[in-house]
Amino acid sequence: MKPALALLLLGAVAIMFQGAASGLLATRFIPDLGFLIVVAVGARWRSLPGGLVLAALIGYAADLLSGSLLGQHALLRMLAFLAARVASRSLNLRGSLPQAVFVGLLTLLNALGVAVLTSFFAPPGAVFGLPPANALLTHAGINAAIAPLVALGTDRVLALVSDEDAGRRLLRFESRRAA
Amino acid sequence: MLVIALVAVALVSMVSDRRALMAGGRELPWGAGAILDLAVPVQKLIAMPAGIVRDAWRHYLDLVGVQEENERLRARLARLAEDNLQLQEALVASGRLQQIAEMRDDFEIPMLPSELVGGDVSPWFRSVSFDRGLGDGVRSGMPVISEDGLVGLVTAVSQRASRTMLLLDRQSAVDGTVQRSRARGIVRGRGSDELEFEFVVRGGDVRVGDIVITSGLGGVYPKGLRIGQVTAVSDPGARLLQTATVAPAVDFGRLEQVFVMLRRGPTMELLYEAGEPGVTADAASPKPAS
Repeated sequence: MKPALALLLLGAVAIMFQGAASGLLATRFIPDLGFLIVVAVGARWRSLPGGLVLAALIGYAADLLSGSLLGQHALLRMLAFLAARVASRSLNLRGSLPQAVFVGLLTLLNALGVAVLTSFFAPPGAVFGLPPANALLTHAGINAAIAPLVALGTDRVLALVSDEDAGRRLLRFESRRAA
Repeated sequence: MLVIALVAVALVSMVSDRRALMAGGRELPWGAGAILDLAVPVQKLIAMPAGIVRDAWRHYLDLVGVQEENERLRARLARLAEDNLQLQEALVASGRLQQIAEMRDDFEIPMLPSELVGGDVSPWFRSVSFDRGLGDGVRSGMPVISEDGLVGLVTAVSQRASRTMLLLDRQSAVDGTVQRSRARGIVRGRGSDELEFEFVVRGGDVRVGDIVITSGLGGVYPKGLRIGQVTAVSDPGARLLQTATVAPAVDFGRLEQVFVMLRRGPTMELLYEAGEPGVTADAASPKPAS
């Protein structure tokens, strides 16, 4: 429970940071931290239900700070989580290079998902295709470059929380033995 | 099973959100609104150091060209004062000056200043959040402007914050008019820093340099708000519709403070219509406010 809460908090702060930064800089230059955390969690998290709920909540928070429909990012984050989970079974997503390549490709697929869902729910007359190639590739490149760092950060948070838990369990065990 | 349930919840959420948007009201539910409210102080805190550096840099840049700009502005002021005098003369001659002055007193437009706290977390959408919400009287569907022109439309509101879809968003469509020729069309966002003005080729006199303003038709935005300036006109070929590229009047990269128009509808239209040159007296005659 504690790692899930810690990751949720990390995701929420990351999204707020993203929102604040995008008020100052063009969004395509800002890494999609929420997305990267979800992918990192997908490659590490053992619990499928916990990971899915976490991905949905991080996506929902992104929906609130975006012009998308409520539920759009939530759905795409769940898909990203599942993709990372499935890929991590047969690919080594712990190494920096494979991680970066995987995130870059997944960012492109995510953009396709955004375009499809938005067109599907778009008001009559509105045309919503894929974003310009240069913006798309820039964003994918930045996400790919930052992905190993975010994965490292996610690992650290998980280790920190798990260590605390393990320490507390050990303390309880010791006190029981002493009694 | 859980996957299907979560996907279903997300899809239902999207459908109901789209319906709420189309119906014009999108007040966020309590939990979601609380997150948006919480994001305001957190984002302000995060952006503060960068904001200080940016402001210092801008102030420095402003100072560098201040003398040159001062001279340019003085010349412009003199020219505008002359234009103003001529317009006043024309209005006095047509007996409309008193009428307009009375109307402005009758229909004071409430404008709420609001500060930008964050941009869009997704690069595929163009929206921003502001530090004013339901508690300040902001509602979904209210137009947002800056001193340069139209910014966008409020699309989601919580108690203390709101999200505004910018003109640049690809879901944004505004009914526009070319100020010079009165050619009408739809101004759409492209998701980039430019807008697209789509108009009917026949009778559509649009040239580079033309100013595009809101037409007031469509019922969302009041008439006469500045949208931008035409920078390129495409070759229509054999098509019925032609497109022009429009540079927005508002510099969205430097957007910091805006004004939320707390009222819209016929009253606003009337005021803007009356403020425009070349409008017949009939158009300026008072209509009942809704």
